Amino acid sequence: MAKKIMVVDDDKEITSYLTQLFKDNGYETVEANDGSEAHDIVAKEMPDLITLDLEMPNEWGPRFYRKLTQNPELKKIPIIVISGLPSNQYAIQKAVASLTKPFDRDELLKIVKQTIG
Amino acid sequence: MTTDNKLLLVDDEEGIRRFLGLTLEDMGYEVKTAENGSVALEMMQDFQPPIVLTDIKMPVMDGIELMRRIKKDYPEVEVVIITGHGDLELAIEALKHEAADFITKPINDDVLEISLNRVREKILMKRQLRDYTENLERLVEEKTQRIVELERQTAAGQMVEKFSDFLSGITTEVENRTGLFNELPCLVSLHNKDLRVVACNSLFRERIGDCNGMHTPQMYAQEASADTECPVQATFQSGNGQRLKATLAGKDGTPLPVTAHTSPILDKAGEVGLVLSIAVDMTELSRLRDELLATQRKFQRLFDEVPCYITVQNPDFTVAETNRRFKEKFNEAEGLLCYREKKGREAPCADCLMLQTLQDGESHQMETVVTTKDGEQLNVLAISSPIRNAQGDIHQVIEMYTDITEIRRLQDHLTSLGIMLGSMSHGVKGLLTALDGGMYRLESGVKNDQPDQVADAMNTLKNIIGKVRKLVLDILYYAKSRELDVQDLDAAKFLADTATLIRPRADKANVRFTYHAEEKLGSFAIDAAALSAALVNFLENAVDACEGVEDEQRQVEFSASGTPDHVVITVKDKGLGMDKETRDKIFTLFFSSKGSKGTGLGLFISNQTIEKHGGSIAVESEPGKGSTFTISLPRKQPAPCPGLHAKT
Repeated sequence: MAKKIMVVDDDKEITSYLTQLFKDNGYETVEANDGSEAHDIVAKEMPDLITLDLEMPNEWGPRFYRKLTQNPELKKIPIIVISGLPSNQYAIQKAVASLTKPFDRDELLKIVKQTIG
Repeated sequence: MTTDNKLLLVDDEEGIRRFLGLTLEDMGYEVKTAENGSVALEMMQDFQPPIVLTDIKMPVMDGIELMRRIKKDYPEVEVVIITGHGDLELAIEALKHEAADFITKPINDDVLEISLNRVREKILMKRQLRDYTENLERLVEEKTQRIVELERQTAAGQMVEKFSDFLSGITTEVENRTGLFNELPCLVSLHNKDLRVVACNSLFRERIGDCNGMHTPQMYAQEASADTECPVQATFQSGNGQRLKATLAGKDGTPLPVTAHTSPILDKAGEVGLVLSIAVDMTELSRLRDELLATQRKFQRLFDEVPCYITVQNPDFTVAETNRRFKEKFNEAEGLLCYREKKGREAPCADCLMLQTLQDGESHQMETVVTTKDGEQLNVLAISSPIRNAQGDIHQVIEMYTDITEIRRLQDHLTSLGIMLGSMSHGVKGLLTALDGGMYRLESGVKNDQPDQVADAMNTLKNIIGKVRKLVLDILYYAKSRELDVQDLDAAKFLADTATLIRPRADKANVRFTYHAEEKLGSFAIDAAALSAALVNFLENAVDACEGVEDEQRQVEFSASGTPDHVVITVKDKGLGMDKETRDKIFTLFFSSKGSKGTGLGLFISNQTIEKHGGSIAVESEPGKGSTFTISLPRKQPAPCPGLHAKT
């Protein structure tokens, strides 16, 4: 069964890009355009991995992450931060990786493969 | 000597009193009698006898006691004691108490007479002695007074002699051109009653000329001699010395400023015979004074012309002095409170430079915004320095303001450019990622033969390229002073369009928004996009200012009126309002009164836009009563000056 990745970013062009990339590499995907939307979806979809942007309207990355950690089931989901903010590795400390836009596609895929296979 | 014949006889035995009294009267005495000491004492006052003859043993008060009392109160009265036969001890006791004599009973008339005569003689001698003594004392006193008087006269005489010697010495010295007076570094001259110079010292001769027969007023420079009183003459008239400033006429006609002292010299009759005049040359002093004045003027010119605004302030916050440039730009502030004149505040500023300098005696500096009398806001660099008095205490503080508005403007421009690039870099990263994504999806669609995906990716790419183009233009706008894209527009229509932009925001914030333009407002030449953005900024601020105020105050009026040359736009809110300090700073970069909600960019950029249009902004605001921004825009834009734009 294919692994499911949730892509969280307010920029539609970036979600389409990541979605296409993951699909082409045999993953299932689900999209969310801000933190609150992601929060609504995450429990229902139970993704195996989340790629998370930091700067988003309504509810930004760090807050979504804080809410996520309050649920013992959800907090186990590994997170890869993909953001334009420099030093974004400090924002979400338990993230498996922090990539700065524009990111290296192969590097992202390598990390995803290492994390969820 | 009637009084000398009086005698008081004291005895308790009536027989003795009568018998002895008769005997004594026979001897020529005026006798009174008393039966005891107490009665005798009472009689002493009225009777005043020089002799008292008393028995010793008596009831009530005995003779010894009586004698003691008499000797105490009437020391000149002589007391003769009558004792019983063989009563020797009492007799001795009586003598101890200064009894004149004692007579034993039975009394022998001859003995009595002899004794009384002796007593009378004693009294007489004592009286004479007393007279002599008194005379002698009087004589001594008289003689002493005479001697003192003579001494005084002698001393006065000596003084007069010395004084005349002294004065004649001076006169002689001056006359003979010898001695101290001749050497004195002063102009010494001697004048007679006819106001002629009779003698002078060598310096006088050197500077003023030969004094022989010189008319006293001639000494003085022409203009002075005419009206001002001649001190020599004044001394002759009043008899008192004079001291005054005068100008003497020098030998070669050069005026010689002096301080002149005159003293009267009395002749033998005590009249003022001569007047001595001593004049101290003040030329050097006046030269120094002139130099000082020149230095003061130089300092004043420097103070006025230095390209700073300078105030000298007292510790009570009043302005002691200001330079010309300050007066030109600000109000005449002397004597007024500094914080009111420079900052329009009602209390001293929290970061008062003067207070800091007063406290530590050091120079302090800060950057601040001040308002000129024309309402122009200047960015200034203020520097304070202590001014110390002769004791070394700081009694005033000098504050210098250097206008750095132009520097700040450039700095603001550079900073805003930096800020834009900083905030844009984030956007650029997003765009690059999206571009990356578009390319990937295009490749992936082509590879997998998915025409829909290819078309979608192409759209995305076009979209992103559009965004990049806009971003670059935005950067150019801030990097370079963008030329205004001026068009002649109908003012009322333009403003109505602008009003529609703000209405949704006002509705959402529950603020009543009204727009009203005067009829036939006419047209004006503006860059519609830039001006619209600027006006929206003012309107948004007005709406924001209504946050948290009472419902009836939640209103914003947007209105416009016209003059032949200008269109005047008013944005008025009844919201929070601003204090003077906030009002002074609102157009500076990064100043925001909205806390974390504001960037401090809005009004800064809006202000620049209005300025570029050749317009002006006036602000009226009061805390709690709202703010009114009045924006005045010229109807025509001046022809662009290439030199000016080349500079920006």
